[in-house]
Amino acid sequence: MDAVTYPDEAVVDFIQERMIPLRLQSDAKPYSADYNIQWTPTVITLDPSGKEHHRTTGFLAPEELVPSLLLGIAKMHFDAGQYGEAAENLEEVLSAYPESDSAPEALYLKGVCQYKQTHEAQPLKSAYEQLNEHYPSSEWTKRAYPYRLL
Amino acid sequence: MEARIKWETDFNAALSRAKAEGRPVLADFFNPG
Repeated sequence: MDAVTYPDEAVVDFIQERMIPLRLQSDAKPYSADYNIQWTPTVITLDPSGKEHHRTTGFLAPEELVPSLLLGIAKMHFDAGQYGEAAENLEEVLSAYPESDSAPEALYLKGVCQYKQTHEAQPLKSAYEQLNEHYPSSEWTKRAYPYRLL
Repeated sequence: MEARIKWETDFNAALSRAKAEGRPVLADFFNPG
């Protein structure tokens, strides 16, 4: 991460503008135990109270880290019931990083956000159809499979 | 000059900034080697 991802200009810009970057050694007490750090690098998205909303373990290339962080920000909003804000971040993943590993989960969660906002089933069915078209082998396509019947 | 991430190294300071600036925290746990 230090050699490739964190020096990347797009990564620097995103993190400095959108997040508060915090670096801790993997054995830092009490945080290592508090967040159950078992391997490095572990990157966690925390809300301002310190609650965890998303984590990745292992190397991420620049083109994967930024959408992963966007997904984490979206999950933070989703967990707070802020579905509009979550959907905006998820749409950013889908529009700017459609080939990233985070995109299928973003598409799934965007459908859920739209359902939460409207209580209509169509966004869930649409999410499945788009997942099946663009990411047919994704685990998120499998998770959305029941929505085809809506 | 090459831009770099300006990391916080104090957990509570990072959360204080997060609250003040309304931004989430990216917590990177690393192995210093």
